[in-house]
Amino acid sequence: MSEAVALTPEATPHAGFAVAARPSILRVLMREPVSAVALVVVALLVLAALLAPWLAPADPYAGDLANTLKAPGDGALLGTDGQGRDMVTRLLFGLRTTLAMSGVAVVIGCGLGGLVGFAAAYYPRVSGLLMRLMDVLLSFPAILFGLALTAIVGPGLTAVLLALSIATVPLMARVVRGAALVVLQQDYIEAARALGMGDGRILTKYVLLNCLSPIFVFVTLRFGQVILLGSLLSFIGLGAQPPTAELGAMASDGRNFLFFAPHVSVLPSLLIFVTVLAFTMLGDGLRDALDPRLRR
Amino acid sequence: MTGPLLELDGVRKHYPVHEGLILRRQVGAVRAVDGVSLSIAAGETLAVVGESGCGKSTLARLALRLIAPSAGTIRFDGRDVTHDGRAALKPLRRQMQVIFQDPFASLNPRMSVEEILAEPMLVHGLGDAASRAARVRELLDLVGLARYHADRFPHEFSGGQRQRIGIARALALKPRLIVCDEPVSALDVSIQAQVVNLLKDLQAEFGLAYLFISHGLAVVRHMADRVAVMYLGEVVETAPVGALYAAPRHPYTQALLAAAPVPDPARRPARPALGGDVPSPMKPPAGCRFHTRCIVAQARCREEAPALRTLGPGHAAACHFAETVPAFTRLGAGERHARLQARLALYERKRAAMTATTAA
Repeated sequence: MSEAVALTPEATPHAGFAVAARPSILRVLMREPVSAVALVVVALLVLAALLAPWLAPADPYAGDLANTLKAPGDGALLGTDGQGRDMVTRLLFGLRTTLAMSGVAVVIGCGLGGLVGFAAAYYPRVSGLLMRLMDVLLSFPAILFGLALTAIVGPGLTAVLLALSIATVPLMARVVRGAALVVLQQDYIEAARALGMGDGRILTKYVLLNCLSPIFVFVTLRFGQVILLGSLLSFIGLGAQPPTAELGAMASDGRNFLFFAPHVSVLPSLLIFVTVLAFTMLGDGLRDALDPRLRR
Repeated sequence: MTGPLLELDGVRKHYPVHEGLILRRQVGAVRAVDGVSLSIAAGETLAVVGESGCGKSTLARLALRLIAPSAGTIRFDGRDVTHDGRAALKPLRRQMQVIFQDPFASLNPRMSVEEILAEPMLVHGLGDAASRAARVRELLDLVGLARYHADRFPHEFSGGQRQRIGIARALALKPRLIVCDEPVSALDVSIQAQVVNLLKDLQAEFGLAYLFISHGLAVVRHMADRVAVMYLGEVVETAPVGALYAAPRHPYTQALLAAAPVPDPARRPARPALGGDVPSPMKPPAGCRFHTRCIVAQARCREEAPALRTLGPGHAAACHFAETVPAFTRLGAGERHARLQARLALYERKRAAMTATTAA
């Protein structure tokens, strides 16, 4: 042992030696004020959505026709909507529906897209076919998928979910394929093959782990976009149907009273805006935090 | 052991080049390795030298059977492994391992040193957690790293240390052959000396055979028993290391040796160094592949490809004029030039220092 240390001056431990722990992603993220705020906002929004049934002061579906279109502060904190339902409650449940819908769509879309991307990167034989297929999907806007699917399965959350998932698959596939191709060029993949490692182990332990950063960033950014798209589809009447509380549908509901009770439409729109902005900022912050070249 | 450990016989690797999107016609082939025959005995170091793009690295991957040859046979320990599938090759993987050039790309950045070194044993289902941990410590000792390094990640190490980790990983399965693909080209000269000496010591201790791919002539001289010089996918000269450096017979070998920089203007070689570029391996020149750059080329060289001819014990060259090529004069009467001398002296000093510490 002593001789080993003597062989390598580089390996000699310094006096008072302490390993500088790699700063966690979270800590790096929190150093940047914008990302820190974004992270806190995202966390609060997710928490609020999860705890909606316990936080909400009223029943989201029980109307009170004696108290419709109350302005914020007039009896209820944020007023009431056209059917006298408490806006705070509606917003909480709306956020819950929107986030759940987007979350499921992102998970399905990114899951499938990830599989396609890895397969295309690892098996060059199928790469051409798979990626051209993705190009075909990419050539249709998400709205068109929404319209087509509502024509098939009827308007509702299912149609929106499917449309958003399908629209996410090709984007994710491209990101993952690109990242995986970079990793597959590395010598350690060749070393793993020389060890006799199987494809499954190489893909999970070597390729996937080293692709996590771009995947993480893409998923966060895509989440924001999917929220916007999902709300949009609901807004034009293809998604959540009344009386379901969903932010896009709520904004749409309020259009009729825009001039004398603007809060019914403006509040859900604002919430969509804040949510999408927070996810986008978080995605940008993550991209910077995960890029070792930008680390201080 | 009677026969050679690894034997390549007329091995070729051609990469087809396609054109067209739908009707993919083959328009040619890159002849990365074109009919190479080599053999390595147990415990021997065979160096393969040549310019960039001459097929050295492809040859390394062929020898490891990471890629399948287009033609020819590969035998390991007398067994034909040319057409073996992945499952059949798995036992072979324990016998031969690889060390790469770039120590920054050859280690998975997401795994700790301990995980990296235990991985080979996990893949081959050897030992239990405790015995693997013990082997990891043993490997760290072997390559001159400290045991507390086991918990660290590759980015926390210097280039030389990373290369040691790469060597330890290659040793984990106790292989008999290690293919070294330019193992020191990416390192500083002082670190090169350490790593080269480590490789030599490990060879002495475990009787390893090395297929040593390099373009560093000084390192090859220090490491190798035999040298094969490659040009455009072919072996143009092979010789024991002493004979090759003292009396190279192929004009290309001479040019390579002459191209090593000499820090003294008065002693620059009389012969011009090699001009021009390596021709495309897609369209190698007819006849002798070297005739486009050769200083002794004649009409015959443009038409007839020379075969490897034996010129002395273990010495063969593929040149029509191997016997009549003017002797290699740059180094004077077998004298090593100053830079090489200094470099070798540095290696020897390090080596002496190491042996002294080991003995102490």
